[in-house]
Amino acid sequence: MSDYQKFLPEGIPDAHLPFWDSLREHQARVQRCDDCRTYRYIPKDLCPRCHSEGATWTPVSGAGEVYTYTVVRRAPTPAYQADAPYVLAHVTMAEGFRMIARLTGAEPEAVRIGMPVVIDYDDVTPEWTLFTFRPASPAGQRGVAGS
Amino acid sequence: MGQFADVAVAGVYQTHQGDLSGRSQPSVWWESARGACADAGLSLGDIDGIVGDGPLDPGLRERMPAPGIAEQLGHPLRFHARSAVGAGSTASGLNLAAYAVSHGLAEVVVVVNAVAGRGAGYASANRDEAVAAMAKLSGPYEYVYGTTRVSDCAVMAMRHMHDYGTTAEQLAEIAVAQRHGATLHPLSVHGHRGELTLDEVIGSRLVADPLHLLDCCSINQGGGAIVVTSAARAEALGRHAPVVLLGYGEGHSHIDPNAADKLTEFPAAAMAADTAFGMAGVRRDEIDVAGIGDHFTIGVLIGLEDAGFCGRGEGGAFVSGGGTAIGGRLPTNTSGGFLSFSHAGLCGIFTLIEVVEQLRHEAGPRQVAGARLGFVSGVGGVQQAFSAAVLGRA
Repeated sequence: MSDYQKFLPEGIPDAHLPFWDSLREHQARVQRCDDCRTYRYIPKDLCPRCHSEGATWTPVSGAGEVYTYTVVRRAPTPAYQADAPYVLAHVTMAEGFRMIARLTGAEPEAVRIGMPVVIDYDDVTPEWTLFTFRPASPAGQRGVAGS
Repeated sequence: MGQFADVAVAGVYQTHQGDLSGRSQPSVWWESARGACADAGLSLGDIDGIVGDGPLDPGLRERMPAPGIAEQLGHPLRFHARSAVGAGSTASGLNLAAYAVSHGLAEVVVVVNAVAGRGAGYASANRDEAVAAMAKLSGPYEYVYGTTRVSDCAVMAMRHMHDYGTTAEQLAEIAVAQRHGATLHPLSVHGHRGELTLDEVIGSRLVADPLHLLDCCSINQGGGAIVVTSAARAEALGRHAPVVLLGYGEGHSHIDPNAADKLTEFPAAAMAADTAFGMAGVRRDEIDVAGIGDHFTIGVLIGLEDAGFCGRGEGGAFVSGGGTAIGGRLPTNTSGGFLSFSHAGLCGIFTLIEVVEQLRHEAGPRQVAGARLGFVSGVGGVQQAFSAAVLGRA
């Protein structure tokens, strides 16, 4: 048993598990339509563009830029509050779709819309790995020393 | 003249709003239904249709509430339907009630929202419990990271500020305007705290940047109900100026926030508004009073843009200088809205009730002089589903 107190994914359909497996392998893979090549993240039954069901789990580049973000100061539970303030970022990936995760490795005040970030992985329990984002370049980092 | 013009909101009622943990949800449900009937000059015995949820009851009774309500009323009901537009569901219930009445499926339909009791989850009177429960209303692809309802909307505000130069002061204008209305409504949860200033809103602690505490809605319990019947019957009852449904529309676009093209505009809201205005044959500039889902100030600002009351990115300028205040260019959420009046359950009903009271010219000190046309936009989830209605004083 883990002493991890934050929310873990619940009710993940079997059809989504390849994504979560890919996180555990530290190489995120998302669905890509077999017919029109559109990426599908979060996993979906159909391609929203061509309605095809066929998809192949395809590795992502892991590079993106911040579309928008917030700094959470009032967290949902005490376990999250222990991390506050923390940055939640909506990131436009190089492949064109957006992903939502924590942005770590940068002071909240240093985060900017448009900032380049890369995906990273966080093995929170033996069963579950989450992904995070961190600044793509050291220039995006600030205040590491002494913080 | 719209297709629903033969249907009226004949009665409205709101219970005490706040901490109702000492009462049972069914007692608040029945108080709401009884009160709305009495307001219309009707009684519970006149009800022959129900829209929405019933008194909480286990199992099938909750999934299929009408038979149990009929049993309590002592007579069978002719109609039940339920909408699913989140917090906007009760406002969109007006459409289903109007459908029933205009098609002869029922004559007197009540729509009730009731939240009370000591139950856990997002209906709890306990703020911490409610915040934790509401965080998990989003999907596991978000909540594992510690998202909250506030953070879900804060990201919209952050991007809107980036794209259009919208400011924290402009968002604060909405909270200040609505608090003023709440001070003039005896049932509002925050009116007793008095007026707000822009500095107080901006000076309140940040919850999720750039949203401050006073950009966020209340968390509380309460009940409310409307009764819908034919305009002719409402007029014959003679209690109030009948308020008719002139137009209605919905829009449902995405469930995962990363699937929205942008987080600064929501085409489904525009779709709902366009359908409602088109059906009503009413122009935006004819609207005297509005009610727009306001879980957070940014929801009103983007909602005004999406509904077409101003151009894209112009919401900040629109709300400035008391733009949404009583007496402003478009008085909006004049009872205080979710921010300052009440945010309980399917709270869109409170938005709707305030517009009805305005169109009746019964809003007392909050009255928008001469209001004849109103607009309601109910929002479900985090701008994921919308219902819009144009209402008129008959």
